[in-house]
Amino acid sequence: MKKTELLLAFFSFLFLCPGLSFALNGKSNIALPLIEDAIAEDMPYDSGGDILLRWPADEDDEGVVYEIYAKTESSENEWKLADSFKAFEKTADKMRMPFWAWSHGSDEYAVKIPIKSVDGDADIGTVLCFKIKAFRDGKPIAESAILCASSDDNWFNLPRLNGLLMVILITAAFFMTMSRAKKKGLFIRRIAGLDAIDEAIGRATEMGKPIYYSTGINGMSSVNTIASLSILGEVSKKVAEYDSIIKVPHYDPIVMSVAKETVKQSYIEAGRSDSYHDDANFFLSSDQFSYAASLDGMIEREKPAACFFMGYFLAESLLLTEVGASAGAIQIAATDSESQLPFFFTSCDYTLIGEELYAAGAYLSKEPMLLSVLKLQDFGKLFMMLSVLIGGIAIALAAVFHCDGFVKGLLDFFTNY
Amino acid sequence: MLIIKKYIPLAIVTIVGLLTLATYYVPAKASSAYLSTLNQWEVIVSGFAFLLGLISLLMTHYKKIAKRVDGWGYSLFVFIGFFAVVIPGIISHGAQAKDGVLTSLGWAFRYLYNPLAATMFAVLAFYIVSTAFRSFRIKSVQAFVLFIAAFILILGNVPAGQMLWDAMLGWTGICGIGDIIQWIMQVPSVAAKRGIMIGITIGAAVTSLKIIFGIERQYMGRD
Repeated sequence: MKKTELLLAFFSFLFLCPGLSFALNGKSNIALPLIEDAIAEDMPYDSGGDILLRWPADEDDEGVVYEIYAKTESSENEWKLADSFKAFEKTADKMRMPFWAWSHGSDEYAVKIPIKSVDGDADIGTVLCFKIKAFRDGKPIAESAILCASSDDNWFNLPRLNGLLMVILITAAFFMTMSRAKKKGLFIRRIAGLDAIDEAIGRATEMGKPIYYSTGINGMSSVNTIASLSILGEVSKKVAEYDSIIKVPHYDPIVMSVAKETVKQSYIEAGRSDSYHDDANFFLSSDQFSYAASLDGMIEREKPAACFFMGYFLAESLLLTEVGASAGAIQIAATDSESQLPFFFTSCDYTLIGEELYAAGAYLSKEPMLLSVLKLQDFGKLFMMLSVLIGGIAIALAAVFHCDGFVKGLLDFFTNY
Repeated sequence: MLIIKKYIPLAIVTIVGLLTLATYYVPAKASSAYLSTLNQWEVIVSGFAFLLGLISLLMTHYKKIAKRVDGWGYSLFVFIGFFAVVIPGIISHGAQAKDGVLTSLGWAFRYLYNPLAATMFAVLAFYIVSTAFRSFRIKSVQAFVLFIAAFILILGNVPAGQMLWDAMLGWTGICGIGDIIQWIMQVPSVAAKRGIMIGITIGAAVTSLKIIFGIERQYMGRD
């Protein structure tokens, strides 16, 4: 080979190699400017499901698009796109955190990457690596060093500190009101719906017809069902005293088992254990409309003197109460399902609204310990009213005087994180 | 005996109640594992309780048939319906469809259960009309306010009502009926709902405390 041919081959190789490399990878190997001070760390206050990436935001970032690539440290796989967003879309101040748990502002980016989105098998302790790339007009302009971190589960969710303080406050008030109850009696306003229970049971006794009591369609783990069982205890005690008949059809078998004990105990307390029948409580169906159809049929056939609907109800509320109304029964309802309240209002003789369902057991039992707790409900409402009033005024004033930090702080305190 | 009947159940309620409350503030894995275990226990207990419910249902209706009480014929349908679903369920191993073809259980659900459930739901429409008729009888100031609000909402949600409003009051140019409906739904309605919801939340929180600390024990029978 001639010398000139050798030189030509050498220069061709020199110029073709970078081009070939670019064509194969689709990317240039030219080193990009570094995104400095980028860090990857465990997302604080979470259950270990996320990694947090932070890096400074620059004023010149307008028009920049950031892409975050991720992979597990041990994997041989390609980098996987984990997130992509325009500049200033995910600054740290937009992270949903209260001021007492998060001090980062709009001068840096903060991105939460779920570890399962990187690798479905990733768990707490799996080391993940990240690379941040910045693009302008589709061309890469900067990239970070490879950042590796593993997630960890935390033992306290600091953003929920406000909720915890509120629970402590309510618990302290709870014990205070209870201790006062022992010393002196309390005035409790009359609740017409509960005062009418005697009338309803008396009517049933006179007519020789049964009383139907529905505990709603929630399970035993719901507070409204437990509240309903408290009322059932008092109602069945009165039924036992009047020697009337109570029938309690059930939607949930666990509630049925508990209600059986409650009714039995009430009969024993009333000194009428001989009048108690085990079949006073019976199971109908765990299907909403089957339950309604079955109970409607019984009400229609037996024409009870009184119907009680106490607990959580959905669409079946009107199906039940309309049939009860057409059967001529006195109907008393209580529910915390606010969407069903209008139906109960229009078709029942008495309706206990929301919180009255929780107060009814205490009201009927007249036990000082239970009655005193009603006072706590009133304190709670007073606190909420004052909070709304003072908070509203404070936020309006802060908005007028541009105290954004104060407004955010105040709203943070009343936000559930 | 009092220890078994009263103190041990109360201690369980208090400990489990406080631990469950704590899980809301503890995001650690142990917390979610604890909740998951509780849910599994609940499913197991529900399974056994469902058996109790089934026995209760069948016994109640068996007694009605045996004693020939009024409407005992309906109780026969409980047994017919029960076996009509359970036997195909056993035959088809609980599957409602196999290779795209309905099994006998699937047929029972699609052609018996679903139409019956839909019928019950449809009946609601007629009940709403009859309830509305009763509640719109103006007996008090509150009933009058209810009537006016309901009348505007009904009027605004049908094309004829909107046309009527525009023809009669459109010339004033103050606001359309849609604006009034929006105001009713977003201002007085939301205000009332929020008031009720705040009361419910406080009531539920206090009741939960009563249960956790053993003040409310009606659900386990008294001492």
